[in-house]
Amino acid sequence: MTAFRQRILESINNETLQTALDNNTERRLKGRAAAFESIPDWRERRQRAKQIRADVIERLEDYLEKFIAKNEENGVIVHRAKDADEAIQIFLKIAKDLPQRRRERGERTKTLIAKSKSMASEEIALNHALEKEGIEVIETDLGEYIVQLRHERPSHIITPAAHLKKEQVAQLFHEKLGIPYTTDIPTLTATAKKILREVFLNADIGFSGVNFGVAETGSVCILTNEGNGRMVTTIPPVHIALMGMERLVPNLNDLSLMLSLLPRSATGQKLTVYTQLLQKPLQGQTRHLILLDNGRSRLQNSPLKEALYCIRCGACLNACPVFRELSGHAYIGKDKSIAPYPGPIGSVLSPGLFGENYFQLAQASSLCGACKEACPVDIDLPTLLTRVRAGQSPVASSQSPVTSNSVDRNQLPVTSEGAGLSPMTKFGLRMYTRIASNGRAFSAAQKIAAAASFFLAPSSRWLRLPAFTGWGYSKDFPKFAGKTFRERVRKLEGLKVGTLESLKVEGLKVEGAQRIFSFDKELEALGGHVYRTTNATKDLVEFLKSRNIQKVHVEPNTLDENLLQAAGMEWTHEPDDQIHAGVTRALCGLADTGSVLVADGAGNPLRGSLLPEIHIAILKAKDILPSLPDAIEKVKDTRAAVFISGPSRTADIEMTLTIGVHGPREIHVFVDDSNSE
Amino acid sequence: MTSVQLFITCLVDSFFPETGEAVVGVLNRLGVNVDFAPEQTCCGQPQFNAGLRKDARAIAERTIALFENTQGDVVTPSGSCAHQFRHNYLELFEGDSVWLPRAQALAARTYEFTEYLVDKLGAADVGASWRGLLTYHPSCHTLRGINVDRQPRLLLQNVKGAELIELPNAQECCGFGGVMSVEHPELSAEWLKRKIKNLDETKSPTLVVTDAGCQMHIAGGLHRQGKIQQVKHIAEVLNNV
Repeated sequence: MTAFRQRILESINNETLQTALDNNTERRLKGRAAAFESIPDWRERRQRAKQIRADVIERLEDYLEKFIAKNEENGVIVHRAKDADEAIQIFLKIAKDLPQRRRERGERTKTLIAKSKSMASEEIALNHALEKEGIEVIETDLGEYIVQLRHERPSHIITPAAHLKKEQVAQLFHEKLGIPYTTDIPTLTATAKKILREVFLNADIGFSGVNFGVAETGSVCILTNEGNGRMVTTIPPVHIALMGMERLVPNLNDLSLMLSLLPRSATGQKLTVYTQLLQKPLQGQTRHLILLDNGRSRLQNSPLKEALYCIRCGACLNACPVFRELSGHAYIGKDKSIAPYPGPIGSVLSPGLFGENYFQLAQASSLCGACKEACPVDIDLPTLLTRVRAGQSPVASSQSPVTSNSVDRNQLPVTSEGAGLSPMTKFGLRMYTRIASNGRAFSAAQKIAAAASFFLAPSSRWLRLPAFTGWGYSKDFPKFAGKTFRERVRKLEGLKVGTLESLKVEGLKVEGAQRIFSFDKELEALGGHVYRTTNATKDLVEFLKSRNIQKVHVEPNTLDENLLQAAGMEWTHEPDDQIHAGVTRALCGLADTGSVLVADGAGNPLRGSLLPEIHIAILKAKDILPSLPDAIEKVKDTRAAVFISGPSRTADIEMTLTIGVHGPREIHVFVDDSNSE
Repeated sequence: MTSVQLFITCLVDSFFPETGEAVVGVLNRLGVNVDFAPEQTCCGQPQFNAGLRKDARAIAERTIALFENTQGDVVTPSGSCAHQFRHNYLELFEGDSVWLPRAQALAARTYEFTEYLVDKLGAADVGASWRGLLTYHPSCHTLRGINVDRQPRLLLQNVKGAELIELPNAQECCGFGGVMSVEHPELSAEWLKRKIKNLDETKSPTLVVTDAGCQMHIAGGLHRQGKIQQVKHIAEVLNNV
C-alpha cells in the first residue's frame, strides 16, 4: 500500500478527526446554502465572476502592470518574486533594513513579525525560512496560532484547525501557555487574544496575505473576521503583504461582485466582519507588496490555467467527499510532504505548481462534481483533475512543459498519461481498450467473463473478490450476465404521451425606506446593536453612562463636543490601547449586510474602531446604501478603509462561534435620522 | 414512427441486460422504435477518467464513427455515458478540426434515458405502477454532469402506487467513481457505508438509480453487508405496468 493510501486509512480510522471533520463539513455546507439564499441571482453572479477571472488570467501582465503602477503611485514598495527563494530573500532584506529602535532599547533581540493568514506564505514555507534566520514569526489568526503551537500545517485553507477538537486545544494551551486546563472556548480565545495583543503592539513588521488586488486603484483587499488582519496592517510600522500574482480584479465594481460570493462560499457570511481596502500606507507606515509567481506563469500557459481563477474560498474542500474523510494533512506527495493546497483545488494546484510529487492526489477522486458545483467562479475541477491524470501538468517530469495548445495537449507521449495511477490498473485499462476497440472481441470477452464468473460462483449472483483487488475491500462484484443485452435485443411497440411543467425562479431586492429596517435587522443578526436617534451625542452619552464608561476615543468632528463636556465625559482624539470605547464616523452603511464603512483620517478612526472593546459608529440615515456595489467607490479617496460587519468573531475551535477576538467585542451603531447636516 | 439509437453501455450490456430490455420496453410503449448497433462496445470513460487519453481517443473515434452511420437521437440509460459523449469527448478532441465537429454532432443528438422521455418526448407519466416505497439516488454524472434531476424525479412521482421518499443527503457520491473504487478502496468504502446508512433510514426496500455504475456498487455493498434492499435502474421501474 502506498504511503498516501496509508495516510488516508489513518485519517479514516481517526475518530476524533472524523468527528471534527463531520462537524466542519455539515455546518459549512448549511451556512453556505443559507447565505446564497439572500442573492437569488447567484447563478448569474457566478458566471460573471468566472468571466472576470478568465479575463484577468488571460491578460494578467496588463493588469499587473496597471496594479503595480498604481501601487507605486500610492507610495507602496512593490516587489516581484519569481519563486519561493526570491520571496524569502525580499523578506530578509526588509527585515535587515528595519529601523532598529525597539532592539536598541534592549527590549528584544529578535525581529518580531505579527502574521495574519496567508496561503501563499504556506506555499513558500515562509515561517520556517524566517525562523532559520532568527526572525520570530507569530501567527495571529486563532486557528493558525493553534496549529503553529502544535508545529503543524493548517489542515483547511479557511479553518486551519478544523481537524482538532476543543479538548486538544485545551491540552495544548495548558502545556504551551501555562493556563489551567479548560475546554471553555471563550476562555481559550481570550487567552490567545491577550497574548497576541502584545504581539500586535510590539511587532516590528505586520504581515498579511491578500484576498484581492484591484488593478484600477491599486487597492489591496484583505478579509478577516477576528480583526488580526486589521491589526497587522494598522499597528506595526511596517506592513508586508504577500500576494499570489493572479489574485487581481480589474476594478472596484468587479471586486464588490467577488465579495458577494467569497464570504458566502467560505464561511456562509454575507460579508466578513472586516473587509479592508488598503490604498496608501498610513501616516508613518511603510508598506511592501510582494507579488509571487512561483509557477503561476507556467500554469497560466497550461491546460490547468483555469485553476488560477480560484479565489481561495475553500468551498470545494467542504463539498468534497474526499476531503471530508481526509482533512488537509492527508494530502501528501510521493515524498510524504503535505501538499501546500489540499482538497479538489489543491489536487490540481499542487501538481500544477510543483509537479510530479503530487500527481497521485488527482487520482483520489470519484469526479463526482460536488467541487465544481460549489465553486463560486465555476472552475471545472473534475475536468482539470482528468487533465492532471492525463499528464497535462506544466511541470510533468522529464517532459518539455505542456502548454495550453489544445491539439498538443491531447497528443502527449503515452508514458506521461495515467499520472498517479497504479501500474496494475493502467495495465488492466489498456487491455480493456483493446477489447473494447473491436465488437467481436468485446462479445467474446463477455462470454469468457460470464463463463468464468459462473465457474467461480455457480449459485450466486455475486462474486466475493479478495480485498487486494480494491473492489473486494467493501463490496461484492456482480456476476456477468449469462445472456448479454446484445444477445437479447428485439423490438416492441406501444404509445402514450404526457405533458411537462417547467420551474420558476423568484427574486428579491431591498429598496428605499426599507434600508434602515434592513440594516438594523442584518446588524442585529450579527450581534451588533442599532439605535435610531435625532441627537447622537445626547443618546450616546446616556449609553456610555449606562455602561459606566468615563473616557472615550472620539474621531474629530463626529460628536457635539460641547455637549460631551457638559455631560462630564472625558474624551481624546488619540487612540489608546487602554480606552474601552471608540467612537467613529461611518461614511456609509450597507442595508443588505449591516456593514458600516470606516476610513482612515484625523484622530485615527481605524485604530479607534479596532483597539477598544466597544466600537460605536455614528451613521447618517441617508448614508445607508442598498449594497456593497453602491458604496465601494467611496474607498477610492481614502488611504485605507474597512467595511465592518458586526463584532470581531472566530469559529476556529470546533466551528463554535465566539464573539470578540482581536477586534471589538461590541459594535453599536447610532443611526442619525435628523435631516440637519 | 420515431426511431432512436440505443447506446446500451458496457455495464448494462454485460451485467444488467434486464435494464436494457426495460429501456426498450418503455420506449416502445411510448411509440419509439429502438435500433441497436451491435458493433458498439464502451464509451471509453474508464480510460478517460484514469487519464489514459490515447486509449480513450481510440474508443471515442470508433464510437463516433459507428453512430455516424445511424439515424435519430442516441439514447443511453446512463448519465455517466451521456456525460462522456456530451462533455468528455469535446474535451478529448478540443482543437482537433477533424474530430471535434464529429464529436459535437454526436453530443448534440445524445440523451440520457429519462431526459429523453421528459424533455424530448414530453412524457411525464409513462403509465408505470409500483407497489410500496421507492427512494432515488441521483448519480453524480446525471445530477451534476448533465444537470438531469427534475426528469427522473418527475417520472417517479407519476408512478402509480409508488410512495417516493427522499434519500437523506441524496446528492452525495456513492463512492463508485470508476477506477477510484479500486485505486482508493478505503475512500470508496466510507462513502458506500454512508450511502447505505442513508438508505436504511428511508426504510425503502428499493433504491432507484440512473446509472449501472452506482447500481453495481451500491448493490454489491448491500450484498456484502447481507442487506436485502434492492437497487433498480429507473427503466425497470418505469417498465413495470
